[in-house]
Amino acid sequence: MMSSVPLTSLVLVGVGSPALLFALLGGLSLVNRPLPEKWTGRLTAGSVTISCAALSVALAAYGTTGGTRLLSYGAWSSSHEGGIAIEFLVDRLSLAFAALSAAIVGVVSAFSNRYLHREPGYNRYFVLLAMFVTGMLLVALAGNVAVLFIGWEFVGLSSALLVAFFHERPAPLANALRVLAVYRISDAAMLSAAVLLRHAAGTDSLSLLFGGAGAVSTAGLTGVNATIIGVLLIIAVAGKSALLPFSSWLPRAMEGPTPSSAVYYGSLSIHAGCFLLLRSAPLLEQAPAARLLAGTLGAATAVFAGITTRVQSDAKSSLAYASLTQVGIIVVEIAIGWYTIAFVHLAGHACFRLLQFLSAPNVLHDLHGMEDAIGNRASASRGYLDLVTSDRARRHLYLFALERGFLDSLLDRVVVEPFTRFARQLTRLDAWLCDAVLPRRRPILVEGGEDRDE
Amino acid sequence: MSHHASSRESSAPDHPLTRVIDRLAQLLPAQGPISIFIHHNTLHAFEHLPFEEAVERAADRLGREPYLPESRYREKLAAGRILVRDVEALLVEHLGASGTQDVAGVGSRLELWRAIVLHGIPAATGRELLWILDETASLSRFRTDLPANARSASAALSESDDPVREERQAVRRLWNACIEAVGGAGEPALPAAAAPVRHRDWLRAVHGVDTDAWIHPPLIRFLAGYLDQGLAHWSMPDRSRGIHGCFLEIYHSPLAAQCGHWARSLPWHVAGDRHAGRGALGSIEHSLTQLGVPAADNDECADFLGAELLALQGWAGIVHQIEGRPDRVPARDLTVTLRGYLAVRLLFERAALDEAARQLGFRGPLSELRAWLRNHLPAPPAPTALERAWPLFHVAQLCGLDASMVDQWTARHVAELESELRELDAVRQRRILHQAFERAIRHRLYDALVHHAPRALPGRPAFQAVFCIDEREESFRRHLEEVEPACETFGTPGFFNVAMYHKGASDAHPRPLCPVAIRPAHYVAEIEPEGDRLTGRSRRLQRRAAGFLGYNVHLGSRLPVRGALLMTAFGWVALVPLVLRVVFPWLSSRWRRVQESSIGPVRTRLQLDRKDTPPPIGSHTGFTVQEMADIVRRVLEDVGIVSSQSPLVLIVGHGSISLNNPHESAHDCGACGGGRGGPNARAFAQMANDARVRRLLAAEGLTIDPATWFVGAQRNSCNNEVSLFDEDLVPPACRPALERASAAIDTARRREAHERCRRFDAVPRWYPPVAALAHVEGRAADLAQPRPEYGHATNAFCIIGRRTLTRGLFLDRRAFLASYDPTRDEDGAILARIAAAVVPVVAGISLEYYFSYVDPSGYGCGTKLPHNVTSLLGVMDGAQSDLRTGLPWQMVEIHEPTRLAIVVEGPVDRVARVVQENPDIERLVRNRWIWLSCLDSESGGLWELRSTGFVQHTPGHPLAAVAGDSASWYQGKRGFLPPVAIVQASRLRPRADGAKAGPPA
Repeated sequence: MMSSVPLTSLVLVGVGSPALLFALLGGLSLVNRPLPEKWTGRLTAGSVTISCAALSVALAAYGTTGGTRLLSYGAWSSSHEGGIAIEFLVDRLSLAFAALSAAIVGVVSAFSNRYLHREPGYNRYFVLLAMFVTGMLLVALAGNVAVLFIGWEFVGLSSALLVAFFHERPAPLANALRVLAVYRISDAAMLSAAVLLRHAAGTDSLSLLFGGAGAVSTAGLTGVNATIIGVLLIIAVAGKSALLPFSSWLPRAMEGPTPSSAVYYGSLSIHAGCFLLLRSAPLLEQAPAARLLAGTLGAATAVFAGITTRVQSDAKSSLAYASLTQVGIIVVEIAIGWYTIAFVHLAGHACFRLLQFLSAPNVLHDLHGMEDAIGNRASASRGYLDLVTSDRARRHLYLFALERGFLDSLLDRVVVEPFTRFARQLTRLDAWLCDAVLPRRRPILVEGGEDRDE
Repeated sequence: MSHHASSRESSAPDHPLTRVIDRLAQLLPAQGPISIFIHHNTLHAFEHLPFEEAVERAADRLGREPYLPESRYREKLAAGRILVRDVEALLVEHLGASGTQDVAGVGSRLELWRAIVLHGIPAATGRELLWILDETASLSRFRTDLPANARSASAALSESDDPVREERQAVRRLWNACIEAVGGAGEPALPAAAAPVRHRDWLRAVHGVDTDAWIHPPLIRFLAGYLDQGLAHWSMPDRSRGIHGCFLEIYHSPLAAQCGHWARSLPWHVAGDRHAGRGALGSIEHSLTQLGVPAADNDECADFLGAELLALQGWAGIVHQIEGRPDRVPARDLTVTLRGYLAVRLLFERAALDEAARQLGFRGPLSELRAWLRNHLPAPPAPTALERAWPLFHVAQLCGLDASMVDQWTARHVAELESELRELDAVRQRRILHQAFERAIRHRLYDALVHHAPRALPGRPAFQAVFCIDEREESFRRHLEEVEPACETFGTPGFFNVAMYHKGASDAHPRPLCPVAIRPAHYVAEIEPEGDRLTGRSRRLQRRAAGFLGYNVHLGSRLPVRGALLMTAFGWVALVPLVLRVVFPWLSSRWRRVQESSIGPVRTRLQLDRKDTPPPIGSHTGFTVQEMADIVRRVLEDVGIVSSQSPLVLIVGHGSISLNNPHESAHDCGACGGGRGGPNARAFAQMANDARVRRLLAAEGLTIDPATWFVGAQRNSCNNEVSLFDEDLVPPACRPALERASAAIDTARRREAHERCRRFDAVPRWYPPVAALAHVEGRAADLAQPRPEYGHATNAFCIIGRRTLTRGLFLDRRAFLASYDPTRDEDGAILARIAAAVVPVVAGISLEYYFSYVDPSGYGCGTKLPHNVTSLLGVMDGAQSDLRTGLPWQMVEIHEPTRLAIVVEGPVDRVARVVQENPDIERLVRNRWIWLSCLDSESGGLWELRSTGFVQHTPGHPLAAVAGDSASWYQGKRGFLPPVAIVQASRLRPRADGAKAGPPA
């Protein structure tokens, strides 16, 4: 156990340094004393580099040994039945994902520092980026449900706020609300899973869930319990990773500055769900039905997104659905049980798509360059669409893909409209009740200045 | 049936709707595909009106800003960039004799206007006004931003023992007096409110329902898919049927009803068009009838269709552009028409209105919807007593009135004051402040030109260099002349009169390189005479291999199975370019250069000679000797190189290469139609070196010294790289001159990079000159850099005349410089052709910058950060939006919006005649879209064209002289710098005209 001492500090530094950054930037913004651009940029770069270095060292030193360790940093609240403690569950997978997250955020913060130079929202952006990286590291290393949930919420909240980054236009706000709403569904599923886990296993420690098949079965997480928790987890994952039927929020999330689209929907946030699924693989192994559900959702998403991405005529939507295609395939790989391949796929995809998203505005330059090198216009083949022989079917398929599977209007009709109708009725009820109970008030206008003179 | 429909879409020129639509199309943004960016006057449709009237009308019609916000002018006034004396002069000019009339006993009109324009009346109504009255000190203190004399009424207060209380009581008495004055006055004149036009506007005004928010997302998806030039992997089926025809085919499906909750009746409307066999125009007519809009020859119909087009003006604009110039986009299977778009739009609109009517419980036909809504429209509220008293309260303070004086006001006085305030509304105040702002900038230049002593070069120049007129070359030429005082520089439009389609040895397609108004007849290819040897072939193969690899990665990453294999196996590899291009951009620029030079084409030549083979585009392959001679003579005459020829003449075109910048082409050469001018410079040099051409020219009386050699070059205005063409052909006798020129250029480009760095906020103020070149190289290769260069930002002047007049004058990269020698042009023929080539281009650039700056998110395309390249034609904001036209904020942020001041060297009558004879220029000048003045070098006077004719300018500021080089003046300074004379330290002598050394106060 000697070696666990530096590991403890390494992980503490790895998570603590971005958390401190977030506290600093966020705290100064709260008191309306944001740091100057130069300092914000330097501090972010420094803090994320330190975090990345610490986690990489931890990965290099302990990742190869295998096995899982639960690091506890003390409990800050206790109740009659356990309590809330800061616990990290460290193994090869979590360290690798954490190090990858820190590295990617490091590159993106270097990018953003120049990209957002002189932008009025510069400080806000970096506060949210710090919140995001803290959240990602908490999700990656979480040792209990409380830590996981806090991280999950940080990721979701910062994501929605960055979609709404350009809040002077209405479209980003509407789209951010849509993203936030889907995230809330996903969060609710996640929270239910946590409550059930605690109910079934009597603890909120994730070492049971993530700690291997043995641990899972000894905790009594088998059969119906495992299946229900598994399904809830899959709903949480589907919301966060935009699997069917939640996919329609993904293109809407492309409202923020290019680097935020890149790091969230090209690289990290979109894979957070896959990572969670990968971690809970031992549980899924006990719940074949949930596993089948995950596989089906993943496959359906990959096919749907694969068709949809082909007709998208703007750079960001095209990349968004291309990412989703790979995310679907990664979920299928996890459901099959190819965990290593799934992780390598995930990491490779995160890096590659990040580069593509960051250079999305370069698409004209790139395509012209390729054309010049090839010496002709790149063939505008319609690929598989030509395999669909009937004109009618081809048009239907095209319209389906162009309208992104009509998922948005489906969601509008099935969820949004009934909900707003219900809310409107509540408002009416509210108004009626208030009118009945409260005395009528009229707005008091102070006309003129006569009566103001002492 | 549908074929029938599509044939209808592309015909019927005499249809009344066609005429209406063609006329309305002028209102749309005239920006073509973004990769061929051509600067143009954003408000070209309003050019027939005087500038001020045009921008204000356009602001109303398009919902834009005509000038900067008032607060910006107040800042400039406080900072001294707007001068009070200019405001006064303009008011005197504007009010004329009526300025002395008394208004309501307050003072003369001139005094009233002066006070209001200089100090302003904060606009506030409704709840905002209530808040201001309740929560701010406005009712307890007099305005503190007024000079003492305007506050004289409260001057006596200072002697009281409780000045705070005294002041509060005085302010409140004044306020109450204003309220009472308003109470005793007549009814306020109600401003005429514009009635809504479209059904959607009515719905929004009455019920807050916005049907555009319903239909725009699917409409934009459809349009973007239809117009796509190769971004999507699958192109839309049935595109050749035209927009409307294709739409009918695809949205005929019952699936179309799923486009949104509002789309229930969409397939039904589509089926209606199909069964009736309606073409686009027929469909529009039918929709208009259904919507209750009268027939085409009615004004209401034009208003309605105009409003429909403007609802998504960016997309409608690109449709119109492609309709006019289908050769400017690569996709060949499109039949793009604006009427097709309108027909589709109206179908969507009808479906959405059906649903909106249903939701509101309206059961009648759509044609009666507007009438029904009209009955429900609330009347605009009349201004309250508070809202009327507020401006009067400020007038009283501005004019130093106290309550007892306001008590004397009668209803007539209030009416007079209110009428003055209506005339001098916020827009009029901004207009006057803007005019004063421009005047100060312009006059500063005039002063400098009048005072600057011409500097002629003694003896034969060591070399000569001809640049583009671009204002970014002003600094380059200045630095070159400072480095090498024995050189001479010239400016001419950067296509050097070589209008051609050019296909580079490594280009896939030819591209036009000439001003956009010209359709080139000549096709020129760059060839590799040694390309068949081993190196040439292997390099070609390597380029192709790299291209195929890149394309397959691009494509594969979007496909499921190939993508999964690629990501799993090689995804990590992306970290290398990622880190390199984001964290070490300068290194990656070096790497790219090495890579390009190792697989680029080997030793190429331009195929300029006329060939009989038919060209792939244009009408001739190459030029005849006579054509070449004409081109060469024209440019040499224009710039004035006709006698003293140096051993070397450099012809320098320019372009700009940057990464992650959809607006890359906007930084290229405007005279080359948004292309790069290197090939033109190279072609010109090759023509001028040609012995046959020289013989012809000699026969026509223009002798080129046999010892003179021309060398073409291209400057990359982003990373300041200067590359010479065909260096190996330079004869030995000219080599020393070339070496001398190359060394001077190398130093000049470093210095110029340093001067540019002073405007970049991220660069420290005292940046070491040695680091500047690497900095701009890094910028050009940086993925994360939204400001690779500032392009034409800050442009303000255009000087057409000899360089001797401006040589040694620091013009801060703000002046387009075109060479013109008035001493060799008695009849004005040369001036006429220079003006015709130069003025429209520079006016377009200047006006585009003006509009993109004064309304960055309306006329410009807003911040670059959320831009999303769509259909390879333009950019949208974020996930989806109207197509954004104009310039991004990052390109214009350091600009000063001012109309271009063009100064022409030459006698007044000649300039006036030349302008008179060119209707395009005459219109721009008459309506003051540009300012024109003449500099008569013989008398040394400068005449500006005002409404009363040419008026001689009286210089205000003396011209300061700075010893040393340009850096001694600009180093350590960030903002705009006034013109100064740069005098080399050894030559500095006290001058008789009062100019003194050192920076001005």
